[in-house]
Amino acid sequence: MVLVKGIMMIPWLLLVSLFCKSTQDGNGQESGVLHCGAQNLKLTNSSQMILLTWEDTPSCSTVQDVLIYELEVLIADKKEHYDEVAVTPDQIGSTHSWNWKSYLALECASHSVRLRSRYKNHTSQWNQETLPGLETSKAEVYPKGKHFQVGSTATFCCVLPAGDVFDKMSLPEYSSADMNTTRISNQTYALTVHLNQASKYSCTDVKCELNPDVVYGACAYIGYPPNVTDLQCETRDLQSVDCHWTDKDSSLPFKSVTEYHLLESPTICAKWPETTCSQEVRVDARERNWTLTASNPLGEVKLSDTADLTKRVHMFPPEGVTALSVNARNVSLEWKWTVQQYYNLSLICQVNINNHGENTISEYFGVGLKFAVLNDLIPNWTYNVAIRCRTAQHFWKWSSWSTNVNFHTKGDVPDALDVWMQVMDNQIITIWKMPLANQSHGHIEDYEVTWTKTTERERQNRTKVAPNNFSLALSLDTTVGHIVTVTARNINGSSAPSTITIPSSNPDGTRVNTSLIIGSSGSFNLSWSASPTASCGYIVDWCSTLGNCTVEWLKVSPNQTNASIFSKNFKDGLRYTLSVYACTQGAPVLLQRREGYVGEKKIQDGLFKSVKGQQQDWDYEVSWEPISRREQTAFIQGYVLYCLDNNNNKVINFSTDNPEANSLTARNLKNGSYIFTVKARTAVGECGATSITATLNLLTDNLIGTVFISLAAVFGLLSLITIVCYRHWTCIKDTVYPPIPKPVLTSTGEHGCRNFQVDQCHYSEADIMDVPELYCRAGTPINGFVSQENMPFVFSQTPKGYYNQPLKKFTPPPLTLPSTAIPSQPGLPSSPFRREFPNASYNLIMQPGNQQSNFCPELQEGMSLERSSDGYQPHGHPETFTTNQTEEDPDTPMSCVSTYILLPQSSSR
Amino acid sequence: MAARRTRGMTGGSDLSRATVARATAIAELLRYECSILLELYRKKESFTADVTVTESRLVSVPPPSSQLETRDKLWCLHSALLQCRSFLERAITKEEEQLGGGKKGDYETQRKMVKERLSLLLINTGELLKTAGGVMILTPSSEGLELDGPTILFELKLWVYRIFEEVDYWTKTAITTLQALPSVIAKERARTTRVRSTRSARR
Repeated sequence: MVLVKGIMMIPWLLLVSLFCKSTQDGNGQESGVLHCGAQNLKLTNSSQMILLTWEDTPSCSTVQDVLIYELEVLIADKKEHYDEVAVTPDQIGSTHSWNWKSYLALECASHSVRLRSRYKNHTSQWNQETLPGLETSKAEVYPKGKHFQVGSTATFCCVLPAGDVFDKMSLPEYSSADMNTTRISNQTYALTVHLNQASKYSCTDVKCELNPDVVYGACAYIGYPPNVTDLQCETRDLQSVDCHWTDKDSSLPFKSVTEYHLLESPTICAKWPETTCSQEVRVDARERNWTLTASNPLGEVKLSDTADLTKRVHMFPPEGVTALSVNARNVSLEWKWTVQQYYNLSLICQVNINNHGENTISEYFGVGLKFAVLNDLIPNWTYNVAIRCRTAQHFWKWSSWSTNVNFHTKGDVPDALDVWMQVMDNQIITIWKMPLANQSHGHIEDYEVTWTKTTERERQNRTKVAPNNFSLALSLDTTVGHIVTVTARNINGSSAPSTITIPSSNPDGTRVNTSLIIGSSGSFNLSWSASPTASCGYIVDWCSTLGNCTVEWLKVSPNQTNASIFSKNFKDGLRYTLSVYACTQGAPVLLQRREGYVGEKKIQDGLFKSVKGQQQDWDYEVSWEPISRREQTAFIQGYVLYCLDNNNNKVINFSTDNPEANSLTARNLKNGSYIFTVKARTAVGECGATSITATLNLLTDNLIGTVFISLAAVFGLLSLITIVCYRHWTCIKDTVYPPIPKPVLTSTGEHGCRNFQVDQCHYSEADIMDVPELYCRAGTPINGFVSQENMPFVFSQTPKGYYNQPLKKFTPPPLTLPSTAIPSQPGLPSSPFRREFPNASYNLIMQPGNQQSNFCPELQEGMSLERSSDGYQPHGHPETFTTNQTEEDPDTPMSCVSTYILLPQSSSR
Repeated sequence: MAARRTRGMTGGSDLSRATVARATAIAELLRYECSILLELYRKKESFTADVTVTESRLVSVPPPSSQLETRDKLWCLHSALLQCRSFLERAITKEEEQLGGGKKGDYETQRKMVKERLSLLLINTGELLKTAGGVMILTPSSEGLELDGPTILFELKLWVYRIFEEVDYWTKTAITTLQALPSVIAKERARTTRVRSTRSARR
């Protein structure tokens, strides 16, 4: 029974468990499939954006936790994107939406979106919606006419009709590296390109080319979004705001340019590339934001400037400027304002006075300022003026300049002349500067010059000078000072007189030294010491040093002690004399004088005149005439002499720093031909080269000359001696070879003194005389020293006559040997005699007395005692005597007759 | 299709050789200028010379056939050139509207020159046609031509290019036609003389 009851309970238990199970699954979930899902899917698109909306199925109402919708995007049936949308319980029942922007234009390929719900581990079935791609009868490129920002990446597709053959897709001016073509489907190709260039013309072409050559395409606008900076707003008329800004790259091709809106107004205020716009506003004294909105298809930018426009008034320029009451030296100007509010503003106006290119600005103040008076104008002068203004308070900007207005002032008497003087010889030249147009104030009709002596002022001389002359030469007594007055006259009258006192010429007056000056940049910078006498300033005048020039001058104020002297007449290479005078109440006083070149120039070659050369031994002196200033185009600082040896082309030079030098010597030259070039040394280099050529052959010439002279002298001497000897042969023979009786020799050998050795010659010291000795000689030089320099000239002579008495009767006249009168030469002990002169019978050798010679002449061959038997008496004690002794003892002259012995004349050397 | 209306006539026996020569010279000059314009446009739009953009002729006039009489040949030519000018004027307007006509460069100058030269050629072909006895009625009328052009910019560019090519084509056709005219004139003059002689003999 129990078993039966148990069996009957089983179905009930099963039912209960099934009920429980069905209760648990009451949210629609059964075996992993979710009943809650999406319904009413709607897929739409906007451009490349796809938008999906859907609703929950009713079964979703029981969901009590977050429900997830999974979405998949398929492009041409290829899964391209996955996304999830979470729906909270409170959102269940509402319409859900999701969007996604495709990289590809929707025309290019079908875009499908699949959707399913997921709740915990259960998912619903997929729901799918599809946007079909475009089917076309001809090839098309998409997207068409779309805007892209430079720097972005874009994908274009080419959709071909069936049968067409794709060739390529491209963008002009893009390299293949920037582009990538892919195939999306059989008839669809995509080109992905990095857009790095803005469209140059209307748009950038995206081309799809087919085979054969047929092209299709689309336009792409590639550019930049607005890029506005530097917004600044102001008011010009106090009724509107004017803003300007900069926008460098805000450009898109035609019809897509950036538009600008001011103050959020829908009206377009300006279009790129305009950078200003204006809008009427109520201008009041408060700060507010002035907002500019710039927009183009690629973006929008807002920019603000905070300003109180009453402090930013940028005025319009004055209108209708006219010159009223034009006088000689002043004029009044009037103008109008186009903006009535300006008449209530405190204004500052500037008048720009253009005087022949030179601008002067003067300022005027006033409320609603509308006139100005210009003073200190030049009479008879044309001016050009323009005016600009601004508010006196809160300076913001000047207005632009008004239109220019011209006026011409009335004429007036000329200005006083600038007068100076030039004293030349006995003439006084009064000179004045031609009045400039702004000084004459009208046509100059003439000049009037009056002069008087400083000592007789009441007596005036007067003359008129034509208007085209600017000097007057007066022959006056320059020893007396004069006062000269010059006036200029035009139609309006005479100028104020200009007076100058001409000093009397004073030959004893103090002179100033002239110093040198070098100009620079075409002018002289001159300075001088202040002078207490310069009560009315200084005058600097200058003129060419060479003369024949019209003096120019410059007057400077008393407190100025330097000046830059410039003249259009200055020439480089021309020497000028500049003088500084002190201006006094009387005559000007010369303070300083300078000479110089405004610019030195190289002196032309051939500067040196009359160049001569003179050889001096091994030296060669080149000399020239002094160089005149006229030929100096630069200061000469010295000279250089170049010697070019023609043999080896070697150049040596010799120089001097003396600018006054007029010769240079080249030293230690050798034989040969030389080119001597002398140049002047200047600050601009060596110049003025002048050359001469010379050949040096010193040794040969002199030697030959000397030899010839010597030979001639010897020949002449010999000839003379020969003639004399010939004519007086008898006398000579009798004198030299008197008939001598043959000596009778009584003994031989022992008494002979064959060798005249000194120690063997016996003579007393008292017998030594400082006179030339006469030695007998057989025609050959003794010891070979006869004609050697520094050797005494020795006469071998018997003292106090001949050794043989019979000779006494033939005693020659005393030989005057002025040994004391003949100066001794260096190197020579004392004797001036250096030459041998032959004697028909004897070779006479003079030996000075001071020659402490132990010389004892040997008896020459053929002079044996035996041969002396014909008149001579041999003597055993020959004595030496000197010429001094001869002078001391005129009674014992040297036994030599002047007619027999010719004394040599001293040679020139 | 274009309809042709002519006044019955015999032929161009009075055609001035000078007018033909002048028209030919103008056409040759136009051809040269047109080639430069095409080159400039190709350079501007990066088109290659061999690119084909023509699907069909824009000018709806059959080319002058050698079978036609001089008068009809001239009518065809003149009518085609008139259409060319209408297209060219429209192309210039559309270009300036849609693609911007800001700066005037070489291309714009050349375009203007071609338009003026084409007008000059039309005056001369008109004279010839008038001499030949043809009627200067444009078929189709300017209202009938599809002058609007495409609205899509790239297609507009292609359309402009097609117009330039059309002008180039009809300029070449004009040269060929005009150069063939003197011989035609001579033949027709001879035929006219022969007919008159026959009639005189019959009388």
